[in-house]
Amino acid sequence: MGVWSALAGVIALFLVLLAWVRAEASSKDSHSDWDASPGEKDENVEACSEEIVSRIFSAEDLKFVSGIESPRLDRLFRRERTAVALHWVQESSAFISLIMRRHLEASRMRADLEIATEARIFAQYARLKLYCGILFVFIGFRKGWQARPYMLKNSCSASVTGCRSSN
Amino acid sequence: MSAMVKPLPVQEAYEDLLQRSLSRIPCDLGRLLYLASTRDYNTGTYHHDGLADRFSAKVARSALEIAHRMAFHRVAALSLEDLVRDLAAYLESSREDPKEFLRTWQRLEPYRIAIPMEVNPTVARLFASNVRLALAVLRLRRESRHSDP
Repeated sequence: MGVWSALAGVIALFLVLLAWVRAEASSKDSHSDWDASPGEKDENVEACSEEIVSRIFSAEDLKFVSGIESPRLDRLFRRERTAVALHWVQESSAFISLIMRRHLEASRMRADLEIATEARIFAQYARLKLYCGILFVFIGFRKGWQARPYMLKNSCSASVTGCRSSN
Repeated sequence: MSAMVKPLPVQEAYEDLLQRSLSRIPCDLGRLLYLASTRDYNTGTYHHDGLADRFSAKVARSALEIAHRMAFHRVAALSLEDLVRDLAAYLESSREDPKEFLRTWQRLEPYRIAIPMEVNPTVARLFASNVRLALAVLRLRRESRHSDP
């Protein structure tokens, strides 16, 4: 049983790594990868608006492209949107990490820390990172960008609100 | 006491820009490219002679920056169908040879200069990706029109 669980874990990790590599390879757009020093880049991270997220996963755009009936255009559309969707997941993951880092920095200064609250925040953080990983693999392998990621979006909003209020 | 609230200089400059310059441009993409062209490539600062004369260089800079960001977000959020329509209108207003225009835009990707500084990287990617797709749609339409007997 233990061996099988370990094997499943290794396979899951391998899939995530493979999806990550595929995402990097499929993303031709290098804008903003070299535009700022790491510290500066972190400070500039802001959440994507709901309107833009809806646009990335838009069924309306898919319908428009399908109506043109060109397999070449259809492939291009799926490749382009997959790359943007994967980038959004990476960005959301980085944003979640940034919030957690800021929370840790702020809590270090406080003497009245509550273990239960901190544990709850950490569990929320771990859950969101897991959602990002699942979504990343799902989009990367199944090309399922058209499935609206309400799970992640709603949880992200809840987490941001929760972290802000706790800080 | 007067109930009238005096608009802020930047707001006034922004409205002036909308009325005098931007309203004359027939499409969203054209307005975006016009605003991006008022930005210095080396420093990233905006400049508009007429606006700076009427207000001040600083106020004009802020108004242009705000207008640029708003125009960018508007284009980035367009549906693909609307963007194709907008790009076609821009192509028509440019009066260039459509074949040459599409080829140049696909190769040089000049629309990248339209991305404002400090913009969310995912939005910037979506914008560039959508313009690539819109160009492909227009090219495809053109090719199919020419191949029809």
